[in-house]
Amino acid sequence: MAGSRVDLKVVLLGKEYGGKTSLVERYLHDRFHGDVPYQNTIGAAFGAKKVEIGGKMITMGIWDTAGSERYEAMSRIYYRGAKAACILADLTDYTSFERTRFWVNELKTNEEHCKIYLSGTKYDLVENDKKNRKVDYHMTTDFADEIHAQVMETSSKTGYHIKELFQKIAEDFVDDPSNLEIKEPNTLNMYESAYKKKFCC
Amino acid sequence: MTSKKKKGFHVDESELLCKNGCGYYGNPGWQGFCSKCYREVYQKAKDAQLESDSLRKQRLAALQGPAVTANGETTLKFNKFEEKRKQHQAPKAKTVKTLFKKGSASPNKEVPHPWTGKRQPSIESEKAASDFIEFLNTLRKPAAQDITKQCKALIDRLQDQYELSVEEQSDIVQDFYQNMGERLQTHSAFKGASAEQYETMMEHMEKYMITRLYKILFCPPTCDDEQKDLAIQNRIRRLHWISAEMLDADIDSTKPSVIDYIEKAQTDIIEMNSGRSPIDKLLCIVRCSKNIFQVLNISRGQPASADDFLPVLIYIVLKANPPQLHSNIQYITRFANPNKLNQGEVGYYFTNLCCAVTFIENLDAQSLSMSQEEYDSYMSGEVIPAGTKFGEPICEGLRLMYANLATLDELRIRQDRLRENALSLQQEIKDFRDSVVKTVQDVLTTKPFIIQQPRMPANLDEENAAESSLLPPPLKPEVVAK
Ligand SMILES: Nc1nc2c(ncn2[C@@H]2O[C@H](COP(=O)(O)OP(=O)(O)O)[C@@H](O)[C@H]2O)c(=O)[nH]1
Ligand SMILES: [Mg+2]
Repeated sequence: MAGSRVDLKVVLLGKEYGGKTSLVERYLHDRFHGDVPYQNTIGAAFGAKKVEIGGKMITMGIWDTAGSERYEAMSRIYYRGAKAACILADLTDYTSFERTRFWVNELKTNEEHCKIYLSGTKYDLVENDKKNRKVDYHMTTDFADEIHAQVMETSSKTGYHIKELFQKIAEDFVDDPSNLEIKEPNTLNMYESAYKKKFCC
Repeated sequence: MTSKKKKGFHVDESELLCKNGCGYYGNPGWQGFCSKCYREVYQKAKDAQLESDSLRKQRLAALQGPAVTANGETTLKFNKFEEKRKQHQAPKAKTVKTLFKKGSASPNKEVPHPWTGKRQPSIESEKAASDFIEFLNTLRKPAAQDITKQCKALIDRLQDQYELSVEEQSDIVQDFYQNMGERLQTHSAFKGASAEQYETMMEHMEKYMITRLYKILFCPPTCDDEQKDLAIQNRIRRLHWISAEMLDADIDSTKPSVIDYIEKAQTDIIEMNSGRSPIDKLLCIVRCSKNIFQVLNISRGQPASADDFLPVLIYIVLKANPPQLHSNIQYITRFANPNKLNQGEVGYYFTNLCCAVTFIENLDAQSLSMSQEEYDSYMSGEVIPAGTKFGEPICEGLRLMYANLATLDELRIRQDRLRENALSLQQEIKDFRDSVVKTVQDVLTTKPFIIQQPRMPANLDEENAAESSLLPPPLKPEVVAK
């Protein structure tokens, strides 16, 4: 199990069919909906990805989640300990945008250290055909401003903004001083333990 | 029969109520009691913990009598709870005593090996110790010495402080991981090691220490893990009727290799209980998960995603009903290195297992997308779902029987078809014969058989008799002139 160290847990949340699995597939395996025939991966539920930020290697663990409503009650277990969450809204489905508020609230109340990123997915479908768009650009940006989150419109089909999204997540992680201790451990000795609290249930 | 089973269902509802039977609702956070009763019970439990040995024995003896006669639902539960505490405490009290004796006695003849400590080590514990020593031998001396010292200190601390609650034990172990992680990176003894080496060191320490402390830390009598184990086990038993289809688990059980992987996954998750350290247990979960991905790959013919994975995991947990499920999850949560548990792939699978268990605990009609009536009827046992047609991996014998039955069915159909064909062939032959006979008859009647005169050889003269009449009479000789 050595060598499987992950610095940063990124969890994907959003309504079913919003495009979580496709996003993971595109980012981790650079493919879309089976357009590259069967490769040697056995599943795309979890993947670790190394990115370089300012000369530092950061390993992100990307967590796909089961989006079906019957598992919604368990989403808390999924995002526990996540440093970043991508909440996905399908740009062609207004209800999926409405649903993002639910996860935002969940995260704000249960996982306050988790940074939130909004992503409007399936950009390729609305890019040339404006009438497909059910989620206005300003709706997402206004909402993002309101909750102090980043927002990006992405397409897993074309790869548009996918790398940028995760790059941004990794950069923010490195820039956040509260994450510094991980890379530059201070010299606490064995008996100053009471200050540190771990996040475990 | 039905009424009895119905009653079984109602108990489930009442489980929501305070376990003390006071009528208020209980809460899992208060171990199933309402806040008031929890405080009472917990206080009692705490007091009991502090009681002296003699008192304990006395109460154990007293309990052996009434515990058997008690059979009211609520009181029984409470008694069971108490009883179990005793069962656990009795042997522990003993070990603790011997431990103290040994500790305080003058140096023994057999000097305890630094790695086997004060207790009589189990086989697993000895194996872990020898593995650990082997690992330490690969390190530089100061590093090995420091690790040895730190681990020993922690083991001694936890072995001696037997009155600690499990939360406190967990805190101690977690603090150790945190501090040791920092120590490895800052202490001069470990200078120059790579990140992977740090990780390996942490893993070895975890494996060794927690294996050594397994008896103390796993499902300790100071908490209600055991009771919860039984609760979830019973719950899974009562959900035996759930099929893969109901969970939307994409399992193609007509393929033998799928059945194979399903069985492997079940074995893996059951084996989790025999692992001693959190790492060993986690590895069982990882193996189980990989086998599930195989199941999905073969069934779907394409890589699976989280949406496909979780239902199958739930299905596997339901079918395997792994022993001491709750205890194992708690043990991992409390004593595994959180770095691993929270982020990486191992953590991902563990998290999914936690989700599966939560799902099973809260499962209702809605989560299976069926009507309440249907759910109730399955739950009460009135109706047994026709699930076997989807070929649930039931016991091998039954599976074979179903397979044989199916083959027999097919054979019967083929035989029937054969007979039909034979009959129709027979009919055809008969019809053909009849038609031949009929045709012949027809021909005979329409074309009667008339025997004609045989043809005579042509007699030129005679034949032309008729014609000859038309001919002018033959010239007769005439006397013309004298
Ligand atoms: N055109 C287009 N379709 C997409 C995109 N992302 C996802 N989809 C489709 O949307 C459907 C649902 O996607 P999926 O990743 O399974 O969603 P999930 O339920 O959130 O995991 C699938 O049929 C995908 O092919 C995209 O960027 N562009
Ligand atoms: Mg998905």
